[in-house]
Amino acid sequence: MSVLESFVVTLFSMSIVFFVLAFLWALIKILSTVLKHFENRKSENTAAQVATGMQAAVAAASEIGSVASISAGQVKLIDVDEKTAAMIMAIVSHESQIPLSELSFKSIKAL
Amino acid sequence: MFVDALKTIWSDSGFAALAWKECIMIGVAFFLIYLAIVKKFEPLLLLPIAFGMLLVNLPLSGLMNEPAEGSSGPGGLLHYLYMGVKLGIYPSLIFLGIGAMTDFGPLIARPSSLFMGAGAQFGIFAAFIIASALGFDPQEASSIGIIGGADGPTAIYLTTRLAPDLLPAIAIAAYSYMALIPMIQPPLMRLITTKKEREIKMEQLREVSKLEKICFPIIVSVFCILLLPSVAPLIGMLMLGNLFRESGVVERLSETAQNALINIVTIFLGVTVGATAVADRFLRLQTLMIIGLGLLAFMFSTVGGLLIGKLMCWLSGGKINPLIGSAGVSAVPMAARVSQIEGQKANKSNYLLMHAMGPNVAGVIGSAVAAGILLALFG
Repeated sequence: MSVLESFVVTLFSMSIVFFVLAFLWALIKILSTVLKHFENRKSENTAAQVATGMQAAVAAASEIGSVASISAGQVKLIDVDEKTAAMIMAIVSHESQIPLSELSFKSIKAL
Repeated sequence: MFVDALKTIWSDSGFAALAWKECIMIGVAFFLIYLAIVKKFEPLLLLPIAFGMLLVNLPLSGLMNEPAEGSSGPGGLLHYLYMGVKLGIYPSLIFLGIGAMTDFGPLIARPSSLFMGAGAQFGIFAAFIIASALGFDPQEASSIGIIGGADGPTAIYLTTRLAPDLLPAIAIAAYSYMALIPMIQPPLMRLITTKKEREIKMEQLREVSKLEKICFPIIVSVFCILLLPSVAPLIGMLMLGNLFRESGVVERLSETAQNALINIVTIFLGVTVGATAVADRFLRLQTLMIIGLGLLAFMFSTVGGLLIGKLMCWLSGGKINPLIGSAGVSAVPMAARVSQIEGQKANKSNYLLMHAMGPNVAGVIGSAVAAGILLALFG
């Protein structure tokens, strides 16, 4: 093979190498764009679902809150301020391992 | 009687059959063993290659002998193991393991790295032109040029198909130069780039999703194999290994491909390639020419990658450090490490390794594509 022919082979081969890798470059770009688009849509849907779920949770919590305020009843505090009473209720709950919502206090009295 | 017996033992031994050419080859094998063990030059491959070379040059061992015609006796052990090289099985299986070990994430995050991988194939064709000018036929010139791809399995795969006689010289040159990359590349990197360019700090790469990593090997396989069917064994196995890794559902297969399988195949490949280096085929002026041309191919490939790196630096307004271009010569991950080291020499807070991995793995695809083109033209 003459030097001129080998130059032609080189030009041709390098062009093909660049073409193949440039095509792969384009394919990766397209793939990334398409997948990003899908992932964005997916995350938007997820975000919407989370938002709906949160709204439902807030509504349920406020309902529970209103129920709790009804069922909590009244605690008679005798010579005890509210802050100390709250602290005592928390300690009792912690020591007895019973959640505060399940405990019922009738009165708290200073001795 | 004892004297006769001793004479017979001597005349039947390998010592009596030892010629000066074999002695030289044994010396070369010892030197390569030294380089592998003491200097740690690509020891995983150089050590089996050197030992294969040693074994086959010990006279009368018959390790590479074909079974005698008409005889029911078996051939030599390495003759049968060599079938894996001859039939292109080992290089493809090694690519399976490489695929399972490779993270294409940096390439997907910055696909423009592919252009540096393409530019770094320039050495293959520069060496092809010079080899043709020196009188090698196109098949031999292609096999010599592929040394510049800095990709051992690809070099072996192409050479077994185009110029099997040159296999030992080409395999040894390819693996030796890959080991010498930390010495070959830095002077060229400093020559071609300015200090200001080497100091460039690159932005962190974006995170690549799992889905992108799974789609990548499938898309590359379909496109490359449809365009260049001759490259199917290499690209197909490389991408299959990578799919094992990225899919996350075949952990055991991925583990096997990147550990046990690649290690076993490396032993067979190394020993049998070394065993082709018999004195009569290796001790020729041609071997020295191949070794010289291989070095030129490596240098031109480095220059090609760096020039594309410089072009991309200019096009990006100085956001790309051209040093990562030299990693486009494949030789994963050695070439990327060299970019990292040179980058840090210029700027201590520079971390180019992950950026250089993009062109580095692009170089593996690029050299496989170049091999496919040469096979299509001259196979």
